[in-house]
Amino acid sequence: MTIEVLDPTHGDEPDPFALAPRLDDVAGATIGVISNGKQGTRRFFDALARELIDTWGAADVVRVTKPNYSAPAGDEIFDRAKQWNALVAGIGD
Amino acid sequence: MQLASKRFTVEDPVSAQEFFHSRGWTDGLPVVPPTADAVAAHLAWSGLPPDHLVGIEPVRQRAITAEKLAVNAVMAGCLPMHFPVVVTAVTAMLSEPFLLHGATASTGGSAVLLIVNGPIRLEVGMDATFNAAGPSDRATTCIGRAVRLILGNLLEVKPGGIDRSTFGHPGKISFCIAEDEEHSPWPSLATERIGDPHVSAVTALAAMAPRQLMNEWTTEPTEILDTYVAEITANMINYSLWPGNYVIVIPPQLRTHFERAGWSKADIRRYVFDHAFIHRRQWAGVGKGAVVGDKGDRMYRALPDPDDLLVVAAGGPAGGFGLVIPPWLGHKSRAVTVPVGACVDC
Repeated sequence: MTIEVLDPTHGDEPDPFALAPRLDDVAGATIGVISNGKQGTRRFFDALARELIDTWGAADVVRVTKPNYSAPAGDEIFDRAKQWNALVAGIGD
Repeated sequence: MQLASKRFTVEDPVSAQEFFHSRGWTDGLPVVPPTADAVAAHLAWSGLPPDHLVGIEPVRQRAITAEKLAVNAVMAGCLPMHFPVVVTAVTAMLSEPFLLHGATASTGGSAVLLIVNGPIRLEVGMDATFNAAGPSDRATTCIGRAVRLILGNLLEVKPGGIDRSTFGHPGKISFCIAEDEEHSPWPSLATERIGDPHVSAVTALAAMAPRQLMNEWTTEPTEILDTYVAEITANMINYSLWPGNYVIVIPPQLRTHFERAGWSKADIRRYVFDHAFIHRRQWAGVGKGAVVGDKGDRMYRALPDPDDLLVVAAGGPAGGFGLVIPPWLGHKSRAVTVPVGACVDC
């Protein structure tokens, strides 16, 4: 005797989010880094910023930190992000 | 009843287990095959149409419908009469102060603790006495488990996926406690939080593992609470010093002493608020001196406010034990109490 069961997931429902297209070139771009603000992340993102500028020629790396590392970035940060060519979701621990 | 979920045909109940396990749709334990009839029975009991929008997970923008909750509740072993509690629990979890995404994604590894109050506890057969924080009965076990399956199947809160817990804890299988209102001298947790003694309600909290204590050698409320305070401050020193919603669970043997001395829950909250604190320098004693810095004399309370202590009466009749259930990470996630049957958008 067969049984018919129901899918407990959202199934094929598309994810409302998608990654932004990659930049053709980092050179000359303004890159944002939204850090979650955990204490151990600072030096890592310092190094990342240097790498983006010194090695890859980024025009600028803008560093912002979320006020709550467990919550999404707020509108203020997203408004600033509109000025950037790309951003890094800086999740660190 | 028209259900929208995709349907699959499996050979038999044993095949159904392998079907669900192979897709990562379980918590590792067997599940009840969610047939359309079983899901419809859950929805009918609650009077909810399948497409009823229980809420939207704010970070991932996932719409959570009653039908999907029912599918997972069936899988967890719930009966239809358990389903209103599941819906209420998820409603609480989806409210903004709960910070669901952060609480379930964090490396900190919290579980969703549910505390159930009101007449529905008795209607569905919840036992608030023996083994109150463990698998005491079908209702609490299955309702708590339903929350875990819902998180995994509807929000991808799975180990290594959204769930980045370093350890987690056993409460992530099921973590549901009913309050023993019948044997308590005090108003229930929900009565104190929402003000109506006749309403059933669920309180959800992102919580760490319970810490058990024992003090059978005094009848003095202050001395009993000193033991609870010691457990809270130990958590602040060893885990997180941030203030938040701590839960303390008081069993009958200890409740007797409070009742005899005329202590209310408010008295308990005030005493714990006043005494549960540490100084940052205490971190140096447990190997965390590197983050003491020049803030050694700074004092940190366990509770932002006395009302942030959730005092719950539960436990078996014998034993001078107690439980402290710490919050996940201070007050980033707040305990949320929602009446059963409440509709947030109607």
